This record gives sequence, C-alpha cells and structure tokens, in this order.
Amino acid sequence: MPESIVTILDIAIGGLLLGGIYALIAMGLSLQYGVARVLNIAHGEFIMIGAFSTFTLYTVLGINPLVCLAIVGPIIFIIGFLLHQTLFTRLRIAAPNPGAYEASSLLAAFGLLFVIQNLALLGWGADFRAYSYLNFGVNIWGAIFSANKLVILGFAVGIGVAFYLFLIRTRLGKAIRSAAQDPQTASLMGVNINRVLSICFGFGALMAGIAGVLISMRVPLNPAMGLQYTLIAIIVIVLGGLGSIPGSFIGGFILGIIGEVVTHFEPSLSLAAYYFIFMLLLLVRPKGIFGK
Amino acid sequence: MDITRFKSKGFFIPGLISLVLLILLATLPLSLGGYTVVLVTTILMYAILTVSWVLFSGPSGYMSLASAAFFGVGIYIGALLLPNTGQVLPLLVVVVLGGLASSIVALGVGALTLRLRGIYFAIFTFGLVVLILEVLNWWEHTVSHIRGRFVMVVDNETIFYVMLAIFVATMLTFFFLRRSKFGLALQSIGQNEEAAAHSGVNVTMVKVLTFALSAFFVGAAGVVWATRLTYIDPYIAFNFFLSFLPVLMAIFGGIGQIYGPVVGAAIFAYLQETLQTEFPEVYMLTFGIVLVVVILYLPNGIVGLIPKLWRRISGGQHANT
Amino acid sequence: MKKRLLLIPLALLLVVSLVAIGCEAEEEKDSILIGASRPITGANAPIGDAAFGPIMALWEIKINDAGGIYVEDYGKSLPIEYIIYDDATDVGAMVRNTEKLILEDEVDILFSSCGTAFISAQAPVANKYGMVLVTAEGGATIMRDALYGLPYVFVNLPFSDHYQLPVFADMCAAAGAKTAYMITIADLHGVEYGGVAAMEFDRVGIQVLANKSVPITYTDFSLLVKDAMAADPDVFCVFAYPPIVIPVTGEMMVIGFNPPAVIMGPGGNFGFYGATFGVEAIEGVSCFAAANSKTGPEFERHFSELEALVGWPNLDWWGTPFYEPICQMWEQAIEATGTLDQDTLRDYFATHHFDTLLGDTYYEMFGEGGGLMVKETHPGEIGQWQSGIVEIVGGGDWPGVVLTSEWIYPKPPWPTP
Repeated sequence: MPESIVTILDIAIGGLLLGGIYALIAMGLSLQYGVARVLNIAHGEFIMIGAFSTFTLYTVLGINPLVCLAIVGPIIFIIGFLLHQTLFTRLRIAAPNPGAYEASSLLAAFGLLFVIQNLALLGWGADFRAYSYLNFGVNIWGAIFSANKLVILGFAVGIGVAFYLFLIRTRLGKAIRSAAQDPQTASLMGVNINRVLSICFGFGALMAGIAGVLISMRVPLNPAMGLQYTLIAIIVIVLGGLGSIPGSFIGGFILGIIGEVVTHFEPSLSLAAYYFIFMLLLLVRPKGIFGK
Repeated sequence: MDITRFKSKGFFIPGLISLVLLILLATLPLSLGGYTVVLVTTILMYAILTVSWVLFSGPSGYMSLASAAFFGVGIYIGALLLPNTGQVLPLLVVVVLGGLASSIVALGVGALTLRLRGIYFAIFTFGLVVLILEVLNWWEHTVSHIRGRFVMVVDNETIFYVMLAIFVATMLTFFFLRRSKFGLALQSIGQNEEAAAHSGVNVTMVKVLTFALSAFFVGAAGVVWATRLTYIDPYIAFNFFLSFLPVLMAIFGGIGQIYGPVVGAAIFAYLQETLQTEFPEVYMLTFGIVLVVVILYLPNGIVGLIPKLWRRISGGQHANT
Repeated sequence: MKKRLLLIPLALLLVVSLVAIGCEAEEEKDSILIGASRPITGANAPIGDAAFGPIMALWEIKINDAGGIYVEDYGKSLPIEYIIYDDATDVGAMVRNTEKLILEDEVDILFSSCGTAFISAQAPVANKYGMVLVTAEGGATIMRDALYGLPYVFVNLPFSDHYQLPVFADMCAAAGAKTAYMITIADLHGVEYGGVAAMEFDRVGIQVLANKSVPITYTDFSLLVKDAMAADPDVFCVFAYPPIVIPVTGEMMVIGFNPPAVIMGPGGNFGFYGATFGVEAIEGVSCFAAANSKTGPEFERHFSELEALVGWPNLDWWGTPFYEPICQMWEQAIEATGTLDQDTLRDYFATHHFDTLLGDTYYEMFGEGGGLMVKETHPGEIGQWQSGIVEIVGGGDWPGVVLTSEWIYPKPPWPTP
C-alpha cells in the first residue's frame, strides 16, 4: 500500500478506535441526561471504579479483563440503580420544575464525584496502577493497531447495537423511549416512571463501568482519572444532540476522527479543538448534528 | 432608581449599623493579626464569587458555570501586569483592568449565548473555562515559551483591604441593583423571558450587561488572588472547581435573601478550613457528602433553615417571618 | 430586607471570633513542630504517596525512636511532630495551608509541598514569612531564576539542564546518535524539557526531527508513535507523565518501533512502569534516575526501607535519593546551630556542608538569594532498565558519580508476542 493511503487509514481507523470508547461513554451519559435528566458530572467516576475493579480482579485474582466485564458491569448497574432510586428520585420529586431538577441533579452529581473518587482513594490507595493486556499489533491493510483497541471497538459497537435493539424491540425499551419523550404521559400510560428512570441511570453507569474495564487495558489508573472522560462525554452528547442515543453513538466516532485528524497536524491542539467544536456547535446548532 | 427611599429613617439606621460593623470588620482582623487576615480574605473572595454569581444567575435563572473563567482571566491579568520582576502598574489599576478584562469576556460570551437556555447555557459556560485553559496553555508552550509566571508578593493587609473594597463594591451593587428597575427587569426575564420581552424589557441588553457587571467583580478578585498564589500557570488560573463553588455556596446559604450567599460563603470557607486541617484524609469525601446532603435536605440553604427552625421553636407564633 | 443588610458583617464577625477563640495558649516546648501541605487527595496523590511522603514517615520513626533531636536552646532533645494538611492538589489550598501552618500553628519547620507548580507557589510564600523551605518533589529552570529573590528557599531535585539533559545528550552523541524525535507534554514541564533538550541536542550535533506536544488528557498516541517511527530517529524522547508514558510505550511495542535510544520521563523511573509491562519487556528503556541499591550501602538501606514501606512498584530511582537528605540536613542543621531560629538555620543551610545519603551535600547560592543543591551531589542522572532493575548508566564528569552499569545502545528489541 502507498504510504499516504496507510496514513489515511491510520487516521481513519485510529479515529474509529478512539471513537469507540467515546461512543460508549457518551451513550451512557446520554441515557442519564436524555432520559433521566441527570447531567451526571460523576459519570467518569463510574469509569474509574470499573477500571480499578478490573485491575484488582486481574492482578490479584488473575481474572481475565474480558470476564471482568460480566462481573463489574452488573455490580455497577446496581450501584447506579440504587443511587438513582435514593438520591436522584428524591431530588426529582422535590424539584418544582424540570429546570430546577436539572440544576440540582447536576450539583448533586458534582458532590457524588468527590464521594466516589475519595472512597476509591481510601479503598485502593493513591498509587499509580497499570497493567498490559492484549498489547500486540494487528495489521489492517498495512496500518497496525493494537489488539486491545480492536477489542474495545468491538465491545463498543456490540453494546451500542445491542442497546439500540433493546430500545426498539423490548417493552422496557419502549417504556424508556416514551419516558424520554414525555415523562408525564408515560406515567399516565402506566409506566412506573421512577423505576424506568432508575434503570436508565443504572444502564448509563453500566456503560461507564464497562468503558472503565476496557480503558484499564490501555492507560494507567488514578482515582482522579474520571473527569477527563466525563468532559469528552459531555462534548459528544452535545455533538450528537442532547438525549439522542444513536446521536451520541455516532457522535463518539465523529469526535474520535476529529481528534485523530487534529493530532495528525497539531497534536497539542487536539483537546482545544474538541472544546472549540463543542462551543461552536452549541452556538450554531444547540440541538446537535442529529437533533430535530 | 428611587433616591428618596435611601434618605428615609428605615434605611439610615441599619445602614449606619452596617457601617460600624464594616469598620469593625476592617480593623478587627488586623488586631487579631496573623492567619485571621488570611482566612477572612479567603472568605471575602468566596463571598465575592458567590454574590457575583447570584447577581446574575439568581434573578435571571441562567445557571452560569463561567465563574472560573472570569476569575482565571483576572488571575492572568494579575500575573501579566504584576510580575515579580518589577511592578508595571499600581495594584489598584491592575485590579480594575482585571475586572474590565473579565467584563469584556462576559460581554462576548453573553452576546454569543443569547439563544442558549437552561442546561445549554450551563455547559457552554463550563466549556468556556476549559477552552480558555487549553488555548492559553497552547499559547504559553508554543508561542510565549514561558514555563510559569511568578507574581509580585504583596503583604497580607493590603490584599485584605483590596479584597474588602471589592467585596463592599459587590455588595452595594448587589443591594442597589436588586431594587432598581434594571434588577426588576432581570427578575422578569427569570420568570418569563418572552413575557418580559413583550412588556418592553430590552432582554438582550439587561442580560448581557448584568452578566458583564457580575464578571467585573470576579475578575477584580482574581487579580488580588494572583498576588496570594504568587505563581501562576494556566492550570492554576483556570480551576474549574471554582465554577461550581459559587453555585454550591449560594445554595448553601440560600439565594432568597441578600445575606444568604455571604453566610453560605463564610460557613463554607470555615467548613473547608476545618475539614482540610482536622480531617485531611477524608476532607474531600466529607466535602462531597455535605454537598449532597445540602442539596437533598436544604434546598433553600442554611438561611432558609433559620425561619423554619424559628417557627418550630416558637410553636408557629411567628409563622409570618 | 434593609435590616438584614447588617447581618452580612455580623456573619463575618462571627467567623472571625470563632477563629480567635480557636487560638491556643502558649505551652512549654515539648516537640519540634513540622508543618506540611501535601496532596493527600486529588491528582497528585499518587506522586506524594510514593515520594517525599514515605521519607517523612520513615524519618519520624527514626528520630523519635532515638529520642528526638537535641536543641541547645531548649537544653533537651525534642521529638518531631507533624502537622499535615491536605491541599487536594489545589495550589490555592496549598498557599492557604502554608500560611495557616506558619501564622496560626507557628510550626518550627516548614516541609515542602508536592509538584513543581506547588513548590513554585510555596517558595515566595515561605520566603515572605522568613521560613526556610527545602523543596522536595519538583524543580525547574524558572525556579532557579527566581532563587535570586528567594533567600529562604533551597531546591534539591535535579531537573532538565541540572544536569539530566546535558548528560543524556553527551551519552547519545558518544554512542553515535544523529537524530532525535521528541514527544512532550503540552504543559509547562514539557516546554522546559523540550526547550532544554533541543539546545543540548544541538550542542552535540544531534538533529531534532520533531517536537510534538500532546495535551495531558489526550488518550490516543498511535498516530504520534507511527509518525515518530516514520521519522526513524536514533533517539526517541517522551518528556511527559505516566498517563502518557505508559500508553506510548504500549504503542511502540504494538507497531514494533524500536529506536536505538528511548527515554521516558517522568514515568520510566518508577517501579510500576516495569510492573505494567513486565520488566523483561522494557529492557533497555532509559529514564531519569540518580541512584539504585547498588550505588552504595547507604542507598541499599534507603531503597530497602522504602520498599518495605511502599512496595517495589512505588520505588522512584530519581527522586527519593534527594528527599531523604532534606530530613538529614534539617537534623544536622538544628543540632549544629542548637536553635529553631529560621534566620540562623537559613545561614547554616547557605554556608555549610552536610553529610547525607548523597555524601558531601551543599548548596550553590544565588547572590543574596536561595540555593540549589550542587550537581556534584548527583550520583547519576540517567538510568536504564536492565534485567529487571533501573541501572544507573549516565552521570556527570564529577567525582562521586556512581554508575552501576554500562548504557546499552542500541536498546534490545521489544519482545515478540
């Protein structure tokens, strides 16, 4: 293959690989904000918990990180579900209007950020932790990528598609969609709105947790690592349109490719470019690329 | 503005008492000396941030998370114009310049974000903090090649008095703005923006000008803060934590009353101080728990709690307070 | 509403008086109070916990088991007592903590905060109150330039041009390297290392092919590493922190980018770097390092004590050899001067030699200002992973340099999966 084509492949596939993890994280936040109306700034803390749990399970008990997905995922789902049942439901009921709830839940999530981060710090200690897993190259038409990234992409796409099917095929999925569109009508139609919202929040946490399991194969862990991912997720859900789950899925990949293109030319501006696009989009098209 | 009102007895006496207390406040820390000055300066800084936030976001209902951006602009202006290598301009001039610079940023942001409502405005203003941070960081390491900036060291008493002056200016502005036509217009925007526009309020101008005015005090405080930090880099100047802090302190104190945000800032600073020094291991954890608990159980803040408690204690006799 | 206006100053007065009540009465001296603002929580917590933190803990046990430090002014030995506040990795909180320690707790000795930005902000504050500050985790060219105006500040840790990069450039040139490619972190640390390395490589005739900077929270480095591989440099430098150093190393293994010299720092100098990939995998990677257990018997004790306390993955062969001397110098200065008076102690630090882990230890003074630990105390500057440990392979041309092994150039290939 000519070198220039390999470079384009490097950027394009690299962007998809980076975007996979963005998509997964953003889908989770999109569920939490789009349906449950919680702009969960502690989203990244669930990623961190997923990553730390995997590190411990893998290095202490020798459990394969991919098997950890099945262990960590459900536990984090339950944590998220219970958090919403107790904390956010209470706030939602107390709030005089949806706008007030969005503000109070954002601030409560900000408090949660510190609670989760510092519980992890007390539990795991502050040491840097990292391990290496599936770190070997796979050749795709001359462009080489690490196997763990491809696995991450596979899971991100798999979970995205499975969740989309769940939303359009199952009864619970329909309940979630109707709750997203109009909570009042949904509850009139006999949907237990609190339970549905808590399940959504739980699913959002689950996706963050799974992303954490996958991320831990690649980057060093630190209790304060979550926030950077939360910021990315917020950018992506704005890109894809607040509340649109397919939008944040595709938005994740778009942002990944943008990141790699900018990195190709001026790596130091890759994050600045994210925020610039994010703010430009808010100004020009606040409903996001896929919003109606 | 109704001038006659301020000449009335009802205003004069509490105003006089406030003045006496203010004089006490201005002299007491010095007689106690040492760390008290530092702590009260910190409380004043928090109070300025919080009151400025309430000034705009309270009545208008727009949740701004730009405080850290305005504060950071002030800090950077301070670092640029008050280097440790030699003073370019007098401190007070730089304080005003820092305030103006923040106001200009706020004018720009305000003009740009006219269409944004609710959570969109909040995340845009938050994005502003990180965008400025990233761009400034890029500028420092690829264009200016400066590794960090040392700031002139100023004695604690000067810092305290300048901060106190900014605080008094903020409070007076807050006090008079609330009761002015302008403040009422802002209030009406918060209640119903369309209706306000129809009833002849220049919605754009009121919003943008108040936003810029609130940014002025934050930027001015930032300049003073730079002389306390003594060393500045973009990450130090643009600390996103300070975007959330004013919101939390306002909720902590309650935004229904004029003194709520100040009480919130004072209690908050005291709590932070105690936790950080007495229980350093669990400081941030406790901080998080307190935040969640306050948002859950004290939606009207500590100040909102007092009448409630009073009612309970006095058996409902003072239900009208 | 109007009456409530007076509640504002009242609330503030309340707090002021609460603080006043909190002030304690004078007591008889029964310990040496040492104050420190440390990152117990927040992003710097992993660094603080592995670096000066354990050194402080070990020293407290050592001194107090021996009955304390004899202070002539008080005519007795005083045990040491720490007051440690959390700054949550926030410079503002660190400055306030420092002022509280000095003004309210009236500590006898101030210990260093953690991180270059933090000590840069702490130095002028300590100096303002006339408190001696011997810094730990951090050091930079800008600190040295500022030392002329900071008479109470003493900087310990080796940094870019003092004397890591000059030594490294000489090593590369001597080995025959012609080209270098750099990835630097897009913050002020990266500015310094990128800038100094460019000058040093230029001095020895090594051409710098590129200096790419990356933001600290960016997570994908495959494009950069591929770009570096395409440039085919002899020397590949990653001047960044562990969150970048580790994924970059991973990408290099994936695409088989194996230049003759690879330097990773800060990051490569910690045990956990080896633990992440397995020590066999990173054979031949260079890093900034001063000493290991083979440097001398005292160093063997130093590292074994630390390993027992924090575990092998948290060992740091760059920093801790310069942090233990902080404690040793304080002990010697107090015993020699017989006082806790800061001005007397400052002059002692400025004019005397100490006998520490590093041997003969003293400061180069900057005019009427503060001091920088002389390069002659550095037992080494550059380390390399060899057979499971960081060997010291490069140092200056002064006596006292102890190299524990030869630099392997070119580095062996990465393992094949």
